[in-house]
Amino acid sequence: MPSPASNWLASARAVFTKDWRCELRSRYALNAIGLFAVTTLVVTSAALGPAGTNSSLAINVLPAMLWLILLFAAAAGLPRSFVHEEESHTAIALRLAAPPSTLFVGKLAFGVSLLLGIEALVAPLYLGVMSLEVASPGLLVIALVAGGYGLAAGSVLIAALASQARGRSTLFSVLAFPVLMPLLLLAIELTRNAVAGDAAGPALPQLLLYDASVTIAGLMLFPAVWNP
Amino acid sequence: MTRTISLGLRGALWLVMSACIWGAFFYAWSDPAFVGQSSRILFFHVPMAWTSFVAFFAAAVWAGRYLWGGRQMRHDRAAATAVECGVLFGVLATITGSLWARIEWGAYWNWDPRQTSIVVVLLFYGAYLALRSAMADREVRARISSVYALIALVVTPFFYFIVPRITESLHPEPVLNAERTLDVDPRMFQVLLASALAYTVLFFWLHNLRARSQALIDALEDDPS
Amino acid sequence: MELGGLGWIFTVNLIIWTGLFIFLLRIERRIAGLEAGGKGR
Repeated sequence: MPSPASNWLASARAVFTKDWRCELRSRYALNAIGLFAVTTLVVTSAALGPAGTNSSLAINVLPAMLWLILLFAAAAGLPRSFVHEEESHTAIALRLAAPPSTLFVGKLAFGVSLLLGIEALVAPLYLGVMSLEVASPGLLVIALVAGGYGLAAGSVLIAALASQARGRSTLFSVLAFPVLMPLLLLAIELTRNAVAGDAAGPALPQLLLYDASVTIAGLMLFPAVWNP
Repeated sequence: MTRTISLGLRGALWLVMSACIWGAFFYAWSDPAFVGQSSRILFFHVPMAWTSFVAFFAAAVWAGRYLWGGRQMRHDRAAATAVECGVLFGVLATITGSLWARIEWGAYWNWDPRQTSIVVVLLFYGAYLALRSAMADREVRARISSVYALIALVVTPFFYFIVPRITESLHPEPVLNAERTLDVDPRMFQVLLASALAYTVLFFWLHNLRARSQALIDALEDDPS
Repeated sequence: MELGGLGWIFTVNLIIWTGLFIFLLRIERRIAGLEAGGKGR
């Protein structure tokens, strides 16, 4: 007989694989996020040119721009993950099939993997188009992973809330902006330090603390969102 | 009997608040470090900011009681009302703060860390109110908005660490700071403390009235006969 | 009394606060009346 822990993990993994299977079938979020990211990338690049050669622009403007692109890309694709459960009336079946905490973890894993995949595509492209030289690439990777995790975790939690209300897509941005703002400020600061070649500073522990807080808050609060 | 006591309490609030207004202008000293008499706004601005903090914290406590304390509608009403009062006091604190900033720093708005934080906090609770208005079913609304009020409690403390690092603050030091326990004129401190107390009591009174009238409205919606 | 002086500001503040106070007392009396007079009336 399987232990409760392995049952729990299997359930979370089932949600994760189910989401990816649905995603690969429709490619809704991938198309939305990918096209959104590429479009904004083209616009910023056309407007700014190879701004990375100007060191003050490279440090003060470009990191913020990268995170804004990622924020809007996440807002374009991630809310879908809950909205489509409500729209296709599969939410009830999911309520019966999976305990809420495994559902949250499964959706979180889906969101994080999707966003990290998009980052892996967008970030090198961004660096190339802007001809941005990064002094400490290791720190940039840490910033992208820790920031991307927090961005996905916050978005998934807010998406679960917004899917219960009318006017979901507009409401998502209104709800998500104040929640994600500390994360964005920290991620931008860390990216800036990576570009400038500075030490990580206090931004890194605070970013990790944010990631942990949002994850714990999500695990505690998600059952209340999901179960009537 | 209880009516006499409650009227007595309200009378006491009137007296204390009036005494604070008098004290702010005639009893306390005007700090010469600031332009003219502008430091006197402190006796209104600081209690307003404090009260909005109390209100938002109380909202999170009531939201938690709603979620894990038997899902009673009165707790959700209390949380929503506390947010409304908190936004009211927060807006008043912002207005009084920017009036003072105009006199002391020369501009109504200059993205001082305190100004940035209050804007984001107000946006947070504005989003809370928008979220409430987007849900018709009372149970769903109570559940979802309680969760959002608790997320606010988790996320807003980060501004306390982050924002001061990004921009330097010109905002005067908090009156009670960590190292120097009390470096303010005793009369100023007395008026400030009394005023904070009066504003907090005023908040709970406003909150009580608003929650009770909302309970009446809800009851009317359930039974419109 | 000097317009805009401390005494003037104090008086205006006191009048506003007393007005608000009386307003709240009246609202409280109306709410208490509605609560006592049965739901829905």
